[in-house]
Amino acid sequence: MRVPVRYLFDQMLREEWRMHSRLFGGVRFALFPAFLTLLAAGTATFFAVAGASEATLLAGLHVVVALVGLQVGSIGLVGRDALENLLGDTTLLIYSARTLPVSERRLLFVFVVKDVAYYAVLFIAPLVVGTLPLVVLGSLSLGAVPLLLATAWLAFGFGVGLSLLFVGLATRSRLAPAVVAGGLLAGGVLRPDLAATLTPYGLFVDPTPAGAAVSVLLPLVGGAVGLRLFEFDRRTPARTAANQFRALHGRLRRVDRQGLLAKSLLDVARSSGGLWKVLFSQGLVFGVVAVLLGYLPDIVPVRPSPGLTLAAVLSLGAFTTYNWLCQYDDADFFGTYPIPLAAVFRAKLYGFLLLAVPAGLFYLGLGVAVFGVGSLLVGAAVYLPVSLYVFGVTAYVAGLRPTELLFDTPVFAAFTVAMMAVLLPLVVLAIAYPLDPTLVAGLAVAVAVVAGGVGYALYRRAGPKWTRRARAGQLDG
Amino acid sequence: MTEPAIEATGLTKRYGGVTALDALDIEVPRGELYGFLGPNGAGKSTTINVLTGQLVPDEGTARVAGVDPVAEPVRARERVGILPENGRPPSFLTVREYFDFVATARDLDDIERRVDRWAERLAFTSKLDTLCTDLSQGERQKVLVTQAFLHEPDVVFIDEPLTNLDPIMQERAKRFFRSYADDGNTVFLSTHFIATAQEVCSRVGIVNRGRLLAELDPRELEEETLLDRFFATVDADSVGDGVAGDPSDPAAVMEAPGADAED
Repeated sequence: MRVPVRYLFDQMLREEWRMHSRLFGGVRFALFPAFLTLLAAGTATFFAVAGASEATLLAGLHVVVALVGLQVGSIGLVGRDALENLLGDTTLLIYSARTLPVSERRLLFVFVVKDVAYYAVLFIAPLVVGTLPLVVLGSLSLGAVPLLLATAWLAFGFGVGLSLLFVGLATRSRLAPAVVAGGLLAGGVLRPDLAATLTPYGLFVDPTPAGAAVSVLLPLVGGAVGLRLFEFDRRTPARTAANQFRALHGRLRRVDRQGLLAKSLLDVARSSGGLWKVLFSQGLVFGVVAVLLGYLPDIVPVRPSPGLTLAAVLSLGAFTTYNWLCQYDDADFFGTYPIPLAAVFRAKLYGFLLLAVPAGLFYLGLGVAVFGVGSLLVGAAVYLPVSLYVFGVTAYVAGLRPTELLFDTPVFAAFTVAMMAVLLPLVVLAIAYPLDPTLVAGLAVAVAVVAGGVGYALYRRAGPKWTRRARAGQLDG
Repeated sequence: MTEPAIEATGLTKRYGGVTALDALDIEVPRGELYGFLGPNGAGKSTTINVLTGQLVPDEGTARVAGVDPVAEPVRARERVGILPENGRPPSFLTVREYFDFVATARDLDDIERRVDRWAERLAFTSKLDTLCTDLSQGERQKVLVTQAFLHEPDVVFIDEPLTNLDPIMQERAKRFFRSYADDGNTVFLSTHFIATAQEVCSRVGIVNRGRLLAELDPRELEEETLLDRFFATVDADSVGDGVAGDPSDPAAVMEAPGADAED
């Protein structure tokens, strides 16, 4: 008997909802779309009242949802072990090919369709609804909102399709994804006009049949090829490795008495993507911001400081590094050893400084090549303290489970407000930079240093806070 | 008089409206292999978590290996070994690296000798360089049992240590636990395997709904088995809750109230 796709889709949708609502409490999770709408509405109102460019906001919206798509396209493909590491003893229907008469590829297809529908309705649509203040306060016409919703969904689909394509290719060859990525990058550099026109954002700005066809077909073809190529995990013989812990700990001993830093670094290095994933994720952020910075002046009369803009966005992007450092840990594990949680957070801080800071500085250096030295020196001065702020806030509000807890509405709200409190002033200063570079640079560094101090204070409090919660039995469920 | 290895008075722990531990008193002398038996949700794991400083009780006091685990949790965990029920060794370390990590965290020397001895005892020498994520369930359990004893603690808490082990390894592990206690150490064994408790423990405590209902030496049982005594004790405790009844009906025990509490 063939299990109908519709039946699988319904069950997976139910499973997704239950997973989220059980993890975070039904009502709290139901509030998440409302919070996203409020967040987008607040940002749109700010842009309208401040007289800032609506085009920047709407372009940013497309970039953000495309990035969410990239994440969603890859998250469905994580292995069962990764899921268990993330959520505990959990399994999903997608892994049931061995016990149910359904093929792995069919399960994966339905899972991806379900994920796209789920996120399109609960995450993307609320963001688009949140732009409505621009209709009242700005120049966005109400008639353009349905088109905006459609192109935002297409941008999301673009991210999912691209992600699936890369993951599918990566299961066949290590070189192929790099070749495809290089080809896309080269296309973007050689014909940026074409690349901009043929993206969903280009379709929103100037709807043409060619733009519509490409925006619809690209994600479908990319996704279909990715799914077709995807090679399912056949358990290979157990992987072995030489003892690297001892040598690494030997080198880090001065700052790593209990081996926690060495363990975290090995976790990141040996999990999928290795240490390259740190550079890759920041590279993605750099690429998007660099393109926006390069072509924004052609669209709107704004020339934000490249150094400050890159530093602000890259430090926010460093959040992903903290996530990887924590992905394979939980407080229960450390609770069985004489290891205070404060020491765990200290090791995470060192790991973060060792991985995220050089990656960010590398891309700021690359920015020098693209945009000249100019404000990038200021950017470098801002990047380190703001990264420390991002680390401190994340450690304090989300503890050792950043991915999971950031789906919890109140925690996510606290994280967002804390990020905006520092990033918004930096964005404003980046826009104001050309008016008085010396003064603005000084102000930006001052904001960053204060933020860094706050981040450090929050990091120092993270250990006691999460120890208290763990010992009160408040970390489960 | 020698201080007991484990001593707790009036331990109470609540999770919201659920009382997981209800004024639990317990005392385990040195050199004892103490079996801690109870149905699901009886409070066994919560007891271990409190005694090892992982949880703070709402009321009550405890001393383990001469240390107050509530006031000094890290020092308490220096002195004891812990095998958690649902533990997993770190996915991306090899078995040897994991033991190196444990040795570093516990400030142990002579780690190679200790590891080799355990690898031989539980037959996992060929797996020492394998990533922990690629181990079978049984191999993971061997690794977790080893880490609990690696530093030769005076007191060790082991929660379902025989899960997923094959019969030969179960037998070896049981003999080891017995000899470890005979050497003057204290083993606190939480288990659902009543036959195992009867076979190896020098004393057994039966817990239900967070209370210690009975303690006995299983070797002194004559007519009845430990299983009979277990059912009788738990069922008597459940009278009035609508689940007591025929001791031969294990479902009655399995559905005992409090099963929602953290086990």
